[in-house]
Parts: sequence; structure tokens; C-alpha cells
Amino acid sequence: MNGLLNWILWSPVFGMAAVLLIPKGNDNIIRWTSLVSTAITFILTLVLYANFDESIGGMQPDFLVKVPWIEQFHIFYSLGIDGISLPMTLLNGLLFFLCIMSSWTVEKNLKGYFALLLMLQSTVFGVFFSLDFFLFYVYWEVMLLPMFFLIGIWGGENREYAAVKFFLYTFFGSIVMLVGIIALYYATGKGVDSFNILAMHGGKFSDLTVHIFGNEFNFERLFFWAMFLGFAIKVPVFPFHTWLPHAHVQAPTAVSVILAGVLLKMGTYGFLRIAFPIFPAASVEYSTIIGALGLISVIYGAFCAMAQDDVKKLVAYSSVSHMGFVMMGLAAMTVQGMNGAVLQMFNHGTSTAMMFLLIGILYERSHHRWIVKPDGSKGFGGLYTQLPRYTIVFIIGMFASLGLPGLSGFISEALIFLGIYQKFTTMTVLAIIGLLIGAAYLLWMFKRMFFGDVNPEVKDYEDMNTREILYMLPLCIAVIVFGIFPSPILNIMKASVGQLVDLLSKY
Amino acid sequence: MLEILKTSLLLYLPEVVCVVLMCLLLIAESMHKEEGTDRKSVFVLATAGLVLAAAFLVHNLGIPGAPAFYQAVVIDSFGTFMKLIMVGGTIGTIWLARSSNDIYPNLKSEFAIMAVGTLIGGMLLASANNMLTLYLGIETLSILSYVMSSLKREDSTSTEAGMKYALYGGLTAGVMLFGMSHIYGMLGSIQFVELVPKVAALQGADQVYLMASFLLFFAGLGYKISAFPFHMWSPDVYQGSPIPVTAFFAIVPKMAGLAVLIRVSHLFFGGDSGLAIAWVGLLHVVAALTMTVGNVSAIGQDSVKRLLAFSSIGHVGMMIMGIVVLNEVGARAILFYGVAYMFMTLVAFWITSVLNDAYGTDSQAVFRGLIHRHPVMAIAMCVVLFSLAGMPPFSGFVAKFNILSVAIEKGYMSLAFIAAINSVIALYYYMKLVKEMVFGKAESQEKVAGFTEGTTALIVVLTIPVFLLGIFWEGLMNLSGSAKLFLQ
Repeated sequence: MNGLLNWILWSPVFGMAAVLLIPKGNDNIIRWTSLVSTAITFILTLVLYANFDESIGGMQPDFLVKVPWIEQFHIFYSLGIDGISLPMTLLNGLLFFLCIMSSWTVEKNLKGYFALLLMLQSTVFGVFFSLDFFLFYVYWEVMLLPMFFLIGIWGGENREYAAVKFFLYTFFGSIVMLVGIIALYYATGKGVDSFNILAMHGGKFSDLTVHIFGNEFNFERLFFWAMFLGFAIKVPVFPFHTWLPHAHVQAPTAVSVILAGVLLKMGTYGFLRIAFPIFPAASVEYSTIIGALGLISVIYGAFCAMAQDDVKKLVAYSSVSHMGFVMMGLAAMTVQGMNGAVLQMFNHGTSTAMMFLLIGILYERSHHRWIVKPDGSKGFGGLYTQLPRYTIVFIIGMFASLGLPGLSGFISEALIFLGIYQKFTTMTVLAIIGLLIGAAYLLWMFKRMFFGDVNPEVKDYEDMNTREILYMLPLCIAVIVFGIFPSPILNIMKASVGQLVDLLSKY
Repeated sequence: MLEILKTSLLLYLPEVVCVVLMCLLLIAESMHKEEGTDRKSVFVLATAGLVLAAAFLVHNLGIPGAPAFYQAVVIDSFGTFMKLIMVGGTIGTIWLARSSNDIYPNLKSEFAIMAVGTLIGGMLLASANNMLTLYLGIETLSILSYVMSSLKREDSTSTEAGMKYALYGGLTAGVMLFGMSHIYGMLGSIQFVELVPKVAALQGADQVYLMASFLLFFAGLGYKISAFPFHMWSPDVYQGSPIPVTAFFAIVPKMAGLAVLIRVSHLFFGGDSGLAIAWVGLLHVVAALTMTVGNVSAIGQDSVKRLLAFSSIGHVGMMIMGIVVLNEVGARAILFYGVAYMFMTLVAFWITSVLNDAYGTDSQAVFRGLIHRHPVMAIAMCVVLFSLAGMPPFSGFVAKFNILSVAIEKGYMSLAFIAAINSVIALYYYMKLVKEMVFGKAESQEKVAGFTEGTTALIVVLTIPVFLLGIFWEGLMNLSGSAKLFLQ
């Protein structure tokens, strides 16, 4: 089992190499190669899940990989997995597999598209596996390159602007983080563990100071904010969310799915793995601010979503809102809140992926996404009678997204509310209003698109075909099963989250 | 005396090779009577000579340090490493000149000769052990540079460039000489080894007077590396000069200037006297302003040559950060940066040069849709641009990482944050070019004739280190870490 993480990390790269070696024009071979590659990767993540020991809170000792990379600087190629990264790994394995299926209809420069998608998958695994800060940063940054090209080449009309904005925004956050990483390297004394993320856990930096322009700052507080910036931009937390609607709307369907499903979680994962455990005192001190920003994201994101006429933009803003719940759960720093947050990371990954995939399916038929067209006429209407299968899947996805009991979103949101109520009572009440608005915009959107008079344009749309049903099915199952029976996911994260909560409770 | 001469000459073999090479090149060049011939032999000879010089330099890397010619120059591993970067840059730009149409055909071989001559100046500068050698080095470096920048004789921007360069250079060299004479007047020596203890022993007001003269002295160096506020000449000169010359200017004189700036800073200001604090403060400001001015000015540039020129000012600012810290890890970071920067600069200018030849302009528009016509070249350019911006997994990132980390180690947080913001700005303008290449639609699908198989292969070969040094950088790091300054 030792090399399993290596296999998961590098199998997409092999897939990418295979895709690049196939001569141009063999479109179907390229598609099938990518599909097989992601299928193998997904199976490997399931193997990982099967061999996972739920009782261990720290890194699973069976899967650790540690090879010296730059010995002089004590940089290691060091991988590991615990209960926080495993759900994300499963999500990453699953979503890419489904995305390749949903990308079957991509025609433009197919080879580059699939190669970049596979490269992206590998880098995302890298972020979730890295236990070495340098390695983590390399993956964190390299991930931007395939995203930049995927949005910029295969995106919508305004793709260049969206790609540049996405890239610059994230780069800005991460370069500030880099300064923090280097500062940590020297704060730990350049020793053998100076890039070891795990070794820095536990609040070792609260007594140090730094000078900037002659002012003295507390090391822990200053670099907590440096890390915060890097991760908050990725989540994105209000007010750093402005890149997200552009990127989502312009990105091709599969890339939107990946962006919302996995990449946003990298931000919250960063808090869980890096910012909180390394700077616990500052995290506890500023938890109110984090929670408040989460709350603003919830409500502001929901209101923004309500105002959208473009259904994809609506779902994009709903992501801001739902990731706000995650941030609130993190800020609570209680067992329920944290567990809820990690579960919400997973559940949002499945439900929002459904929404984006469904919008993609619709877009392939309609070539627009307007709920209300700019000229005021209805974009859709009466889809319910025309596309019954599509509507059923849409209902499942939508209700999972708004947190209907019995579907996955409910459990995680309920846990988050249980968690924050102990800490921030007012915020909880306000966040529940956010939930209400969430229900409102989704239902309103549903009413305008699916009910009412049948729009003549809609009449010749075909219902979902077998391929589309095939890739929606796993998500439907996940959303329903984890809504009734969330313990498979909750159990694997429990020990790791508990460890983190224990650490934070000391401050 | 003969003994000293003999040992000195042996130590000085790389430079001797270059001097002999220059003479041979002059003869070889004049043997080609008829206009417009290829004169390949000149280039082959120049390359062979430079490779030989490089081989001697590699041999010299093992020498920890030894003075030569009665302490006029010092051969140490640090200077030798810098010289290796310069030789590499010279070889690259000579061949770039051969393939470029930006230089008149009958002047290409002359460029090779002048490049070697300038290189000799740079090498002298990198191993200067007293004020006079330093000045000689600067002048040797400069005089041929003036000629090179006006190689396009019939082009008014090129002659303007040469004129500007010469005027500015003459002025700063004069100011520098004035500063040096003041230093001599105060301390009574030009030998570094005698000056160092005297500088350290200065007290009170004398320190202020000496600082003033070092400020004048800095003008000459600042001009060579185009540090703020002595950078004004460089955009116009870079734009007016033919592309190979610009590429040459972006590498060789900068490296030479940085080498001597490191040497002077480390020797005279290594302590913690008031003088040293003032010098560090000066370099702080210079580093921050140089990179900011360079990067901000690059944003609006349409001419890629000019963009690269401004960005090279930004990179110099970054490299000065490695001097501010005044320690060996700083010097090591600069050496690594220099190697990475040399490869990146060569590739970027080479691709620009080929496109400039094909379309007669170096505006960003000629890059539009390059990925559809020459995917390999577009990818190479993307790699280099992302590397220049400091994206992993490319060598530019490692270079930036090292520079940032030496600054942070010293506790220069403000400088580190300024550098961080600067790299975001840099990413923005590099990305604009990437956008043109990858997202843009080319007006025609015609191939660019300049990207022959040979050129493509060469550019790919030059791009490989940009990538490899971003992943396997320990070897080069150890090598540059072993390069030390020496004083005797």
C-alpha cells in the first residue's frame, strides 16, 4: 500500500502523456484514453478508501511517502492522507471521471483539452496530499496553469478576461502565502522539519515578532493573515469573491464543475491543514472575523444569486453562499461545526457539480443560459413537460443544494448550525435567513425555467441521453445516500477533525 | 617578476583566450572581402574560443581565490561563476545575431567581435581588485556597448540609442571617477585590500564624507545595471538597438555590474558600521524602486523588446535584493538567478527576434495565435514567460524563492512584500503576451519562415534548463553556493 498515493498522484500524468502521444484526429481514442485514465484513478481512490483506518486521527502511517527532494533546504517529496484529505481525494477522483464523460461533446482542440484536464487532476491531488510546504506551494501554483488555459481557450465569450482575473487574483493570494511559507522556514530554524507542515502544527510561533516598515508585528498574527489571504481568495470569502462569477460563467462545463467541486475546497482545506493548526492562537482570536466574513458570504452570495438572470451565474453565486457556510463551520471550531464544514465541503462538491453539469446539458441544447433574456423575454419555460428525466435529476440536485432534509446538503448544514450556535448565536440566526434566501432563489429559478407556459424554443430539445444519465447517476446516488446515511464520510473524518478541534480548544 | 607574470597569466587564461580570440576574429573577419557572405567561420571560431574560455573558467572554479598581476585583479570562484554566465550569454547572443535580420548582414560578424570585446570588459570588471581595474573594466565594457547599440546605422532610433547610451555612460563614468578620486584622496589607496580596513576604521563625520563619494561611485555601477534612478537610458537604448544587441545588454553588462556591486558591497560594507547601514539603506531603496519602476513601466508596453527591457530592470531590482542582505547566501541566490535569467532571456529574445524578422515589428500583435502556427515555439515562450514571472515548476520560481528567502532570513519583510507585489505585476504583463499567443486568433495560418527545424531545436534546447532547473535545482544551488568572494 506504500506507493498508493504515488499511483493516484501520477496516474493522471501518465494519462496526460498517453493523450499527448496520440496523433491528432483520433478523437475517440483520446476520449477513451482519458476516460480510462480517470477511471483507473477513481478506482485507486476507492482502494485508498477501502484501506483507510478510521481510528487514526493523524496521517495514515501506511500511506506515507517521504523522499528527499532538495536536501540542502530540507525539502521533501512528502505525501500523506488523513480523514480531512480523503473525502476531497474521493471527490477529486469521482468528479474528474464524470467530467471526462460530460466533455465527450467537446470538439475544439480535443487533445489539449483532455491533456490539461488530466494535468489539473494530478495537481489537485498534489495539493491534497502534500505534507511538505514547498511541495504544497508548487502544486498550489502549478494548478493555475491548466486552469488558465482551460478557461481561456475553451471558455465563453469573455473568457480571456475571466482567465486573467482568476489567475492574477489567485497568484496574488499565493505569493503573499509564499512569503509566509519562507518566514515559517526560518522561524523553525532551517532544520530538517522546516518545510514539514505537520511538524509546524501546534502553535509554535506565538512569541516571535517581525518588523515591517519599522513597525513591530506579532509573527503568528501577521502570517495568519498572509495565509488567510491566500486561502480566502481561493474559497472565495467575501470580499475576495469577485473573480469567481467571471471564472464560472466563462469556463466550459467540466471546468466549472471542477472549479466549484474541488478547487474551491482547496481554500478551506488550506485553513484546516495549514492556517488553523499552525497558527491556532491567531485562528481562535480571529474566529469571529472569519465567521462574520463567512456570514456575509452566505447572505451576500445568496442575494447576488437571486439577482442573476444567467442561471450559471446564479449557481456560481450560490457557491459563494454555500462556501460561506463552510467558513462559518470552520470558525465555530467545535466538533459539530468542523465536521459539518468538512462534510459540507464534500456535499457541496457533489451537489454543485450536479447543478453545473445540468446547466451544461441544457446549454448544449439551448446555447444560452438566460432565465430571463436581456430583452425581457423568458429564456426557458415549461421544461418540466418537455424534459421529464432532466427535470427529475434537476430537482434532486437543486434540493440537495438548498438543503432539503433527506438529501446531503441538509446534514452538513444542520451540523454546521449545531456547531456555530454554541459560539455565535446571532450569526446562526442570520445564517438561517441566508438558508431561506437560498431556498428562495433556487425555487424561483426553478419556477421560471421549468413551470409555466412552454416556451416554443424549448419544444425541440431532446431529453437526457444515456451518456448524460450515466454521468449524472453517481452524483444522484451520492446526494441521496449521503443524505440519509452520512456516516461513511463522517466516520473517516471524525478522528482527524477531532484532533484539530482538540488542538484549537486549548487556545 | 617573471614568476608572478607566469602564475598570473595562468590564472588569467580565460581572459587571455578571449583577447587572443578577439584578435583572431578581427583577422578572420577581414579575410572575407566580399559583401553579404555568410562568414560562418567567424562565428564558429568565436564559439570555439568562447567554449575554450569557458572550459578554463570551469577549471578556475576550483580555485578558492588568488590575486594576479600585482593584485590588480583577483581570481575567485564567485567572479569566475559570473564570468561563466557572461560567456554563456555571449555565445547565445552571437548565434542569435547570426540568425537575426535586425543586424545588417555585413555587420553580423563585427557584432561577434564586439561582443567578445565587451565580454572582456565584463570579465575584467567581475574580477576587479582595485578601483582602477574597476574603472577600466567599466570603460571597456561601455565603449564597445556604445558602438553595438548603434549598429543599425541607417536607423534613427538606433543611432539615437547609441548617442544616448554614450552620453549617459560618459556622464556617469565621469561621476564615478570623481567619486573614486575622492575615495583615494580620503584614504590614500586604490587597492581594495588596503581600503577595506581603512573604511572600517573611519569614524564620525569622515563616514559621511566617504558615503558621499561612494554615492558618486554608485552612479557608475547603477548605470551599468540600470538600477533606479540610473535606468532612464535603458528602455530607449534597448528599443533602438538591434534585438541581439538588446539580448546581449540584458545579460552581459548587467551580470558584470552586479558582480562588481556585490564585491564592493561585501568588501566595504560587510560590517555593522554607520557606513554599512547607510549603504544597506541605499540598496534597500534602490532595490524596491528598481523593481517597481521596471515592472510598472512594462505594463503598458506594446513592443515586446521594450517590454523585456523594462522587465529586465525589474529582475535587476529583484537581484539587488540578494545584495542588500550582504551575505553569502545572498550572493548564491544571485548566481542562481543569473543562470536562470540568462536562459530565459535568450529564449524570449530569440523568439521575439524570429517574429520580428518575419513581420518587421516586435509588437505584441505578431505573437497572436502563435500556438496554432508554431505550437512548440509558443509553448517554449509560455514556459519562459511564466518562468520570468516566477511560476513553479520553472527555474524562475526557484530563483525568486531564493531571493525572497534570503531577504526574509535577514528580516527584510517590507522588501519581501514589495517583491511579492511586484511579481504579481510582472505576471500581469507577461500573461498579456501569453494571452496573445494562446487565446488570440492569428490573421493568417502561414508559418513563420524563421522557425526552421534548427532554430526550433535550439530554442527547445535552451528552454529545457528553464524547466529542469525548476525541479532539480540542488546541483546548481550547491555549485553557486561554493562560489566565494576573495580578497587579497
